[in-house]
Amino acid sequence: MGLREFISYETVADLHLRPALTAVPEVSLRQAIELMRDNKLGCIFVVDRDGKPLGKFNERQVLRVTRDKVSLDEPVGNHTVPLPKSGIVRLDTPVEEALFGMRENRMRFMCVVDHDGKVIALTGQRGLMEYVVDHFPRQIKVQMMSTKLHLNSREGA
Amino acid sequence: MARKRNPVTPGEFEDPLNNYDPPMYQDELERLLCETEVKSMRITPVHCVSKEMTVSAVLDLMWAKETSCVVVTDEANKPLGVFSSKDVLYKIAGNDALYSQPIEAVMSPNPRTVYATDCPAKALNLMAIGGFRHIPVVDVDGKVVGMLAPRRTTEFLEAHMH
Repeated sequence: MGLREFISYETVADLHLRPALTAVPEVSLRQAIELMRDNKLGCIFVVDRDGKPLGKFNERQVLRVTRDKVSLDEPVGNHTVPLPKSGIVRLDTPVEEALFGMRENRMRFMCVVDHDGKVIALTGQRGLMEYVVDHFPRQIKVQMMSTKLHLNSREGA
Repeated sequence: MARKRNPVTPGEFEDPLNNYDPPMYQDELERLLCETEVKSMRITPVHCVSKEMTVSAVLDLMWAKETSCVVVTDEANKPLGVFSSKDVLYKIAGNDALYSQPIEAVMSPNPRTVYATDCPAKALNLMAIGGFRHIPVVDVDGKVVGMLAPRRTTEFLEAHMH
């Protein structure tokens, strides 16, 4: 059975998930950036008091506030971008549907929510790549990471 | 002492390639990962900057070109480093003194690269296992000809998954 069949019935729960970072809109940009640095993650989901997603603040927004020299004491809620409907998935969403949402919205991260709509995890392009690696370990894991050519000069006469 | 060889009886020659098993792929994507080349993926446009360019000018360029990574190259167009939105998050945000610095001071030096003729499986290995998000693609002389980014890789995977 090929990957094509797998993605039609496997779900987001089978992708590599990472714990999501969340913050309420009143948190300052400085605190949000510190949180991203400490957790080595390029995205924070801004949530309401019930833990439901309102928007995201990612590296693109960090680039914008840095370029525009915005004060880092401003609340993060002023600098989030809204999450499209297909950018929010549940654990039982088929991988195929999640892929479609990621492509349509050109998103790097997808927000995974539980049945009450609360943010529980995050996945995205990295999660998809790791999913493909898990299916073809014989082809991908054996590759050398070094970039040096084995032959520096022509072999033979 | 000369090694004694058994005389070959005519008609009994066995082709050694009879034992060769060509690789069997269970999936078209699996075959493409091994048998195509990185240059068949979308590797352009790539934005190269000189090492003297200021951080502030590079941030403007990244915003204007809607890119999350630039390659810092020397005069011969060989990669010296990469500067991505990850570097903005970790080094630049909240550190105004760095704006006027040359990009060389804050870039990630000596980037991992792939050759344009490497197979996509190698690029995927570097990205998914090595954790490198942006990988400059170089030709045989080591000159930058493209850039692999997560979106470009997932585009390739998705195009052949359906």
